[in-house]
Amino acid sequence: MSEIVAELENHTARYVEAVNAGDYETVEKFYTADAVAVWEPGKPLSGDERRKYQREFLEAGPRMAAKPRQVFVTGETALMIVDWTIDITGADGTTDHLAGVGVDVLTRGEDGVWRYAIDDPYGQAS
Amino acid sequence: MTTEASPTHPPEGNRIPMSATSFTVPFDPERPDLTADTDIQNEIFIQVFNSGDGELFNRLYLDDSVSNFSGEPLTGADRLAFFKEFLASKPTLKASVTHSYVAGDVALIGVEYSIDTTGPDGEPVLLEGVCTDVLRKTDDGRWLMAIDRPVAATGLVAD
Repeated sequence: MSEIVAELENHTARYVEAVNAGDYETVEKFYTADAVAVWEPGKPLSGDERRKYQREFLEAGPRMAAKPRQVFVTGETALMIVDWTIDITGADGTTDHLAGVGVDVLTRGEDGVWRYAIDDPYGQAS
Repeated sequence: MTTEASPTHPPEGNRIPMSATSFTVPFDPERPDLTADTDIQNEIFIQVFNSGDGELFNRLYLDDSVSNFSGEPLTGADRLAFFKEFLASKPTLKASVTHSYVAGDVALIGVEYSIDTTGPDGEPVLLEGVCTDVLRKTDDGRWLMAIDRPVAATGLVAD
């Protein structure tokens, strides 16, 4: 079990690296084909809408940091509670600071790879 | 809020456990299914919880699921033992769904809950908070609890 937890914590670290590299193709591989992301509270996106939002978000050059707070794993399903921050510096030099406690549901595919099925960055109040 | 319904009377020879007859939602203890419908999920969860039958409540969970209801992650026999002990005094659960997302064969549900129960000396205790539930769809198409994680505002289930 602790090996899986370590694998999932590493999963988060590699995701952050891909986001900070602005690498859309790699970031997309962290999601299941039918994943749901709720980057704006109350507005779940899936499919092409999710991909379009992700691509545009990465083009803004976000700088992300994330640290898993809790990891629960059962079979092919995991729940991670993650503290994260993202800074986005606009063309005018001002920086938007975003922060939240994410609630992420991951599933392990038949290829053994864990991917985000549900990404709810503001899933917990604090 | 009451969750008791008038008992139905199954035909002779087709007896189902008495505890199953008081539900107002479709629920087969022999083939438990929280369904894909968020409102039905919540109603089944409430009614089975309020039945006070910990063994029945445990059937809403996958065998290897993780419940944090006790304040620590429990699975298997430990989870069942906790449910039986916790539900023995017939605490009353109220819950409302705050959000629900479904992605293929996995779902994330957020609920606000309150539980009226009794403390060790028989005094009334109110547990309140929010809970994150992860449901999985089984190979035979049923939805069951995979992971629950309550975060208590008051009561025993701490973050």
